[in-house]
Amino acid sequence: MSADMKTKAPRGGMLVDGLAQIGACGLFLLALLGAIPRSLRHLREISRQVWFVGAMSLVIIMISGLFVGMVLALQLYYTLSIFGGTAALGTVVALSLYRELGPVITALLFAGRAGTAMTAEIGLMRATDQLAAMEMMAVDPIAFVATPRFLAGVIAMPLLANVFSMLGLLGAHLVGVTWLGVDNGTFWSNMTSNVDVWKDIVNGTWKALAFGVVVSLIAVFQGYTAPPTSEGVAYATTRTVVFASIVILALDFVMTAFLM
Amino acid sequence: MPTDADADALVEVRDLTTMLSGKAVFDGLSLDIPRGKVTAIMGPSGTGKTTLLKHITGQMRPDRGTLRVDGQNVPTLGREALYALRERIGYLFQNSALLTDYDVFENVAFPLRQHARLPEVLLRNIVLTKLQAVGLRGAARLMPSELSGGMARRVALARAIVFDPMLILYDEPFVGLDPIALNQVLKLIRTLNRTLGITSILVAHEFAAVRQVADGVHLIANGRLVASGTPEQLARGESDWTRQFFGGEADGPVPFQYPAGDYAEALGFTGAAA
Ligand SMILES: Nc1ncnc2c1ncn2[C@@H]1O[C@H](COP(=O)(O)OP(=O)(O)O)[C@@H](O)[C@H]1O
Ligand SMILES: [Mg+2]
Repeated sequence: MSADMKTKAPRGGMLVDGLAQIGACGLFLLALLGAIPRSLRHLREISRQVWFVGAMSLVIIMISGLFVGMVLALQLYYTLSIFGGTAALGTVVALSLYRELGPVITALLFAGRAGTAMTAEIGLMRATDQLAAMEMMAVDPIAFVATPRFLAGVIAMPLLANVFSMLGLLGAHLVGVTWLGVDNGTFWSNMTSNVDVWKDIVNGTWKALAFGVVVSLIAVFQGYTAPPTSEGVAYATTRTVVFASIVILALDFVMTAFLM
Repeated sequence: MPTDADADALVEVRDLTTMLSGKAVFDGLSLDIPRGKVTAIMGPSGTGKTTLLKHITGQMRPDRGTLRVDGQNVPTLGREALYALRERIGYLFQNSALLTDYDVFENVAFPLRQHARLPEVLLRNIVLTKLQAVGLRGAARLMPSELSGGMARRVALARAIVFDPMLILYDEPFVGLDPIALNQVLKLIRTLNRTLGITSILVAHEFAAVRQVADGVHLIANGRLVASGTPEQLARGESDWTRQFFGGEADGPVPFQYPAGDYAEALGFTGAAA
């Protein structure tokens, strides 16, 4: 058996493989978007998935938000006190959370919690012929399985990011006001006069939405194209976390540069 | 050689040729599945029986040849036409393929919910009737993970017949069934065929069971149809193929070994030993 009989086409190394993956992922996105009208018939399935990914990630995102807010308050209080500016604590924490940390950390947690679950679930559905069974029952698995999960992630991400930021503010308030003694009125009034709902909160929500699109796309794509074996599914799940994390951080830089 | 004039065939396969991973699974296969009959497809494992069913339902496309189901050439159908055809076909997967997200009831109800707007009461009655037919009405609220292989097979069977299809494909339905369930499933296949006139294609290895329900048997090997006739004709073993297959002999026209290189060489006994 010579080696050239085993490989179907000459391999161009990692770069070509990577580009091929990105191309396939782009085509898959088109298929997902094209199936949206048909998947709207499965509204029950979409809402079930929103509930599922939302509920699954909610607790971890609330706890993380609280701690991130607490740490932020501690660090920034220390820095601000050097300049005698602790009155600005509420503002600085809120801006950091809504503009940056809320969307980014939520997306990373979402990829690890809900994204991996989506990949593993769809991969196993393929491996156990469930997707083929749907095809045989004249139900399009893209419209019934892939698109509802994709949409659920896109819908859930902005909501979860805002929950994260709110809990972060609560944590910062606990540390800043209750523990370190920043005046309660100053904390809130300084914040509300400096945080622009449209510019800051809406910008952050756009980011969260964009992260929702890429994380859900990567998770669903990896699951849908995973080789139908235990090893294939395990490997696809890992790839979801790795690819999603890199894309989130890179996209964050690009969007920050453009939205500033 | 079957001819195109055979109007009584629901499924007509002509000159089917398919390569999979560099091996010809079908090499000019032609056969007919008569309307309203139970036809068994038999042959050694790995000979392409499952693959043939996947071709008939358009899950796989051949490299060459035609496959007509009720007059439509399946490999050329678009998505809409293919889905319309599949709504009239029941398919029993070799590994059941139940949807693990849903319980038994919802699995059987799934095709109805997707394609028919039925009042809940009517839907419930249809589903319970089908579950009763496979003896699992009491298991309606169990999840697929709580079923044994044989039970899952029967749920999958109830799901395959929930729409009263014109054609049912059974892929090894008897594997893992105890004698009682086996008899029930046999009776069910016969009833569906005799009372509703549903054409059935049955892939199975259990000749004793096959001869109780099948009107005809096609024996395929090496990518071709090698024998066909009634179960009784095949059992008489008039050709080398049938003698070998039904006699269970390792040597004959069907090699027991998957094509491989020299055995002694693979074990390292040649050349170097001298
Ligand atoms: N998707 C596939 N890719 C490559 N080879 C396949 C594929 N499906 C089946 N085969 C090969 O086709 C042959 C027939 O398989 P199958 O139809 O499952 O046999 P069986 O008659 O036991 O049902 C086997 O040799 C198998 O290795
Ligand atoms: Mg098989």
